[in-house]
Amino acid sequence: MTRIAVSLLYAGALVVLIALPQLISVKYYLHLSILALIWLIVSQGQNLIQGYTGYVSIVGAGFMGIGAYSTTLMGMHLGLPVWLTILLAPPMTAVFALIVGYPSLRMKGHYFAIVTLAFNLVIFIVLLNFTELTQGEAGITGIPKPAGWLEALNFRDREVYYYFVLAVAVLTTGIAWAIVRSRVGQILMAIRQNEDLVGALGVAAWKYKLFAFVASAMFAGLGGALYAHYQSFINPEVFGVAQSLDAILAVIVGGSGTLAGPMIGAFIVIFLPEYLRFADSFRLIIYGLLLVLATIFMPRGIVGLAQDLGARIAGRR
Amino acid sequence: MKRTISTLAGAAVAALIAAQPVLAEETLAIGVSDALTGGAAVYGLPQANAVKLAASEINAAGGISVGGETYMLEVIAYDDKGNPTEATNAVRKLIDRDGVKYILGFCCSGATGAVASFIEYEDAVMLVGNAAERSITTREIPNLTRTRPPADYTGAAAGAFVAAKGHKRVAVLGALDVGFYASYVDAFEKELNKAGGEIVTREAFALKDRDMTPQLTKIRGLEADALLVVGYVEPAAFIYRQSVELGLDLPRYGFTSGSEEQFLRVATSEQMEGVWDLRPTELTLLSATENGIAYHENYAAAYGISPSPSSPYAYDQTYALKDALEAAGTVEDTAAVARALRELAVPDEVVMQYLPIDGKMFDRNGQAYTSNGAFQWRDGNWTFVQDLPSDPVAYSEFLSTLD
Repeated sequence: MTRIAVSLLYAGALVVLIALPQLISVKYYLHLSILALIWLIVSQGQNLIQGYTGYVSIVGAGFMGIGAYSTTLMGMHLGLPVWLTILLAPPMTAVFALIVGYPSLRMKGHYFAIVTLAFNLVIFIVLLNFTELTQGEAGITGIPKPAGWLEALNFRDREVYYYFVLAVAVLTTGIAWAIVRSRVGQILMAIRQNEDLVGALGVAAWKYKLFAFVASAMFAGLGGALYAHYQSFINPEVFGVAQSLDAILAVIVGGSGTLAGPMIGAFIVIFLPEYLRFADSFRLIIYGLLLVLATIFMPRGIVGLAQDLGARIAGRR
Repeated sequence: MKRTISTLAGAAVAALIAAQPVLAEETLAIGVSDALTGGAAVYGLPQANAVKLAASEINAAGGISVGGETYMLEVIAYDDKGNPTEATNAVRKLIDRDGVKYILGFCCSGATGAVASFIEYEDAVMLVGNAAERSITTREIPNLTRTRPPADYTGAAAGAFVAAKGHKRVAVLGALDVGFYASYVDAFEKELNKAGGEIVTREAFALKDRDMTPQLTKIRGLEADALLVVGYVEPAAFIYRQSVELGLDLPRYGFTSGSEEQFLRVATSEQMEGVWDLRPTELTLLSATENGIAYHENYAAAYGISPSPSSPYAYDQTYALKDALEAAGTVEDTAAVARALRELAVPDEVVMQYLPIDGKMFDRNGQAYTSNGAFQWRDGNWTFVQDLPSDPVAYSEFLSTLD
């Protein structure tokens, strides 16, 4: 596919996303779209470490939790404005990611995945048991919406929040694109292909892996902050390992190592379980089965499938 | 001629029938958001069933009469798995897509807290059932009521009861990372301390833990003179079973609200013998009122299983909603219905034994209170032994002072 065609596709997707609130009459779908856009941000970060660098991290939701609790607690205890706490959430998460990433990235393959899984469990347990700060399982309610220099906009209106999250999602996708296109991105992909070779060329691979890991955590932290102010409620349950697996699935199903993949995957992991509600108690079984089948028969995700189809059609011509 | 007359007569009858005012039945959709699958389904599924049962009874009795119209109830139930995000999605779907204004169920505190955080801004009324976290009713949300009293209200009564039994060293084994269980134990401890007793250890377990022998072994070494178990039914049943298997000879007290059938899936009746459950005076067949016995029979007939003791919280919600709708005289004006709920006397059909505040079912926080009771497992059944000392008026005042 030519670069112009790809650009046109992205532009078309953006136009659809901008027009979406006007196209849907039932606000419930707008709510799901906001959640999907938040997951898009998290998944773009997940894609940096998982898709481009080849390291599967199972701590995405944990970092989301750090972002969510950071913005909430800074607002509650330090009285900082919401805008500022949202902006501070990613660097706060980055600090934790540095602490976690430095020892974790000494591991490779499955061992790295297991270490990050353990960190997600630790984050979850701390959020659950440090009740003086986090209010534990009962959670924190009444988290305020953004306000201040844009007071004219009512962020309680879901349409306004949708455009806000869309703008952030576009920005983060742009940052992901810039990283991937840069020399750093090329090295990340080289690490995915052959880390030993990268090391043999005199490149300190661990620095780049750490960069990808911290960047992915910042994306997750930002997503968590946006989630907290949207839902006005957080508790540890939302930031457990199951949600980290959702971030991984979004990348795999959408298309690992592609910019469009996490966009598609994020909408799938949010919308598919909701559409399956008609199946009652079979819902999660069907959801799981569909994901397993998708992973087996579409290892390159939906984007990969679309590329194959496109190539086949072009070949016939 | 005859044919003409009969034709005319027929036409006249048809005209008369056509002229009669049509008493059309309207349908009022009510929603349920609850844990229908997963670990919390032991509470959520019976609640959803209880709402459906109450709705079918109300429909069979002629529906709800509101402003000259008769409404039949239609129940739309969604699974929230006791998860905050799922609950938000389910309630958004009910309100935005299905057009539901009255939402019942809510067995679990985390999921309930998430919905409570935004329900104030919605054109809807939320009726909370089994979720026992105190903070749900401390914000005086005008369109939210809860039928189950907060856990610490019961914990204080339980502490006084155990202290009165003469126990001085109580070991706690519970799901202490769950807020309302921790608050139950805190209130329990305060009352125990007043009587000179103490909690010698607080051992925790997670929802999916099944092997409790490490904690029980530690407790045995502490020479406690009583054991308090707080948590979901299944892990609690494992604790009771394993305490017997380990030969732990202690009086066992609990806060679980599990039914006989739920416990007997894990432990034998012999292993359960003598266990106390100190909880709101919820349904057990042997303690039930006339309404309770009828509820038990109807539920068992409809679903082929006995109702869980806490399920009537949801059943009672439905009748409270019915009375509030009729009192408000509208199904559209949710603010009026919410106000009517706050002014409501305890409906005649409810199963739980509510203690009204100023003659009303719900206090100004939207909180209802039941009596607390001590139940003991005797010969395969939970047997109501006695009321626990409870002061809903004082607790209601206390609740109003919290943010």
